[in-house]
Amino acid sequence: MYLKRKAKSNEIKAKFKKNFFGWLLILPSLALFVFFVWYPITYNVVLSFFNNANFENFVWFKNYADVFGEPAFQSALRNTFIYIFWSLIIGFLIPLVIGFLLSEIVHARGVFRVLVYLPCMISGIAVVFLFKSMFGPADYDVINVILIRWFGMKEGADWLGDPKYVIPVIVVAMTWRGAGGTALIYLSNFQQIDNSIYEASRLDGVSPSGRFFKLTIPMMKTTILMLLILQIISVFQVFYEPMVMTKGGTNDSISLMLLAYQYAFTKKDARGVLQIPKSAATSVILSIIILGITILYFGLMRFFERREDK
Amino acid sequence: MYLPSRKAKRGRLHEKMNGLMSFSDYKKKRNVVSYWVFIVLLIMFSLLAAAPIVWLLVSSFKSVQEINSVNYRFFPNSLDIRPFIELWQNEGLTGIFINTFVVVIFSVISAVIFNSILAYVIAIIKPAGYKVIDKMILLAYMIPSAIAIYPLSIAVTNVFGRGSYLPLFLILGSNAYYYMLFKNYFEKFPKSLIEASRIDGLNNLKVFFKVVLPLARPIIGVVAIFAMTASYSDFLLPYIILGMQDQSTWTLMVAVYSISNRVGASGSSIQLNNVLQLLTLSIIPQIIIFIIFQKQIMNQGVNSGMKE
Repeated sequence: MYLKRKAKSNEIKAKFKKNFFGWLLILPSLALFVFFVWYPITYNVVLSFFNNANFENFVWFKNYADVFGEPAFQSALRNTFIYIFWSLIIGFLIPLVIGFLLSEIVHARGVFRVLVYLPCMISGIAVVFLFKSMFGPADYDVINVILIRWFGMKEGADWLGDPKYVIPVIVVAMTWRGAGGTALIYLSNFQQIDNSIYEASRLDGVSPSGRFFKLTIPMMKTTILMLLILQIISVFQVFYEPMVMTKGGTNDSISLMLLAYQYAFTKKDARGVLQIPKSAATSVILSIIILGITILYFGLMRFFERREDK
Repeated sequence: MYLPSRKAKRGRLHEKMNGLMSFSDYKKKRNVVSYWVFIVLLIMFSLLAAAPIVWLLVSSFKSVQEINSVNYRFFPNSLDIRPFIELWQNEGLTGIFINTFVVVIFSVISAVIFNSILAYVIAIIKPAGYKVIDKMILLAYMIPSAIAIYPLSIAVTNVFGRGSYLPLFLILGSNAYYYMLFKNYFEKFPKSLIEASRIDGLNNLKVFFKVVLPLARPIIGVVAIFAMTASYSDFLLPYIILGMQDQSTWTLMVAVYSISNRVGASGSSIQLNNVLQLLTLSIIPQIIIFIIFQKQIMNQGVNSGMKE
């Protein structure tokens, strides 16, 4: 009886020790997470229901209603879909193709990989200024020079001033920086495909292109889906590009993220006050969209897995 | 006649075992042709990737007159580095680079220590309630941190004041992605190893420093490199909390943004060629890092699935 009790008390002691030391160890890290991550997010969610930055009056969903009524927000929302459209046209296939090519070649693999990945090393802000200089409006700015001299265009375009071009140009800059990293992820997944599968279909007399469409692409399905979702999520976070390229962002290229920033730091209302609760509301809307896409992604993955199990 | 080079090339294709097309496919001429089409495409993509960087390096040697000349020439008239030195001195770039390296070094330390301890406790010690913490970090991972930039900047300035570097590196200690990299790595550790060292009388902290950390060297390298590039490239938070007035506190990316935006402002001597020079100076350290850590950077970007 005594022994049993002692064993039990030892067990409790050990458990207590484990929990106590565990929590003690992570206290500093958790403090950082609270301070830098969870607190700001919670603060924004709560603030989005108040009338001003001092939390004076609780106004329910008024900020959300106001934000949806604003032309700038409507433009930002519309632009988001234009961004997604162009990023699917310009940015989706290129990394897939590069990844595939890298997995198939045997010559100068290292050189190609380094060159393709190089743009990923350059910081976002620097890339934006670089592309801003290249896509300048004058006929002597380099992109216009190339188009006029080599492609017979009559006169240069005002790339960043023209609402037709500004979003595609921003997407080109994003793709240039991001494609190499994505291509390497595709590459490693192409390399993981089991050779014996190709071998078997080769013996069945299937041509290389047949193998590509009937074997490779279906096997890459989940990778493609994952990177597609990540790409769409990253498009929702476009921020530096319109901010730098169009001097603070005109309605032609403004993004939700940039709008949230402007409400809190630069954009004043009729009385000359920063519209911080609106910024919070915009941030919350954006977070909900991103969370929604993420959940949709996990749902789709589960669906694929189940179907494969059957 | 004996042609060594051609023979070597044929040899390589005819030894290829892996991938969609292997040596037996290359017995057909059509497939060999498509292989060389692949190579040409890759050369094209590589040129597209490298061209803007080359253009930047070359153009940064041009004077304003050359940049604004109607007669566009690719190469500059001279390769004079004096304008670079002038810009460096006028804008106090020595101090700005030192600031940046200080932030980078402490960011790396903070990113490695705080995230690895958290991951060790959640993955191995597992105190009561560890699952809740894990789920909350996962949630933080899905919501981009820049979304809450206003409350973050208010909290940071209230606690640390303006112009402090402390928050700039502490914030990397609460990075959900680095935490997950560590956690996934620790979870693959054999349980018996931890048990054995506990039986040998090591306490939790000693297990961490004497057993876990030495074994985690590869993943520490990965997180260190990620934290290095992330803190070097970080712009928004430093921009907001370092203050626009005092140039001596800036980090490099704040300088790139603020100085470049002075082009055309009244009373500013900064011109278009200075912007290109500044961009060139800012990407040189990154290219050096890339050359040194090329293999680690490219492999790990891949193994961990996603970046940033």
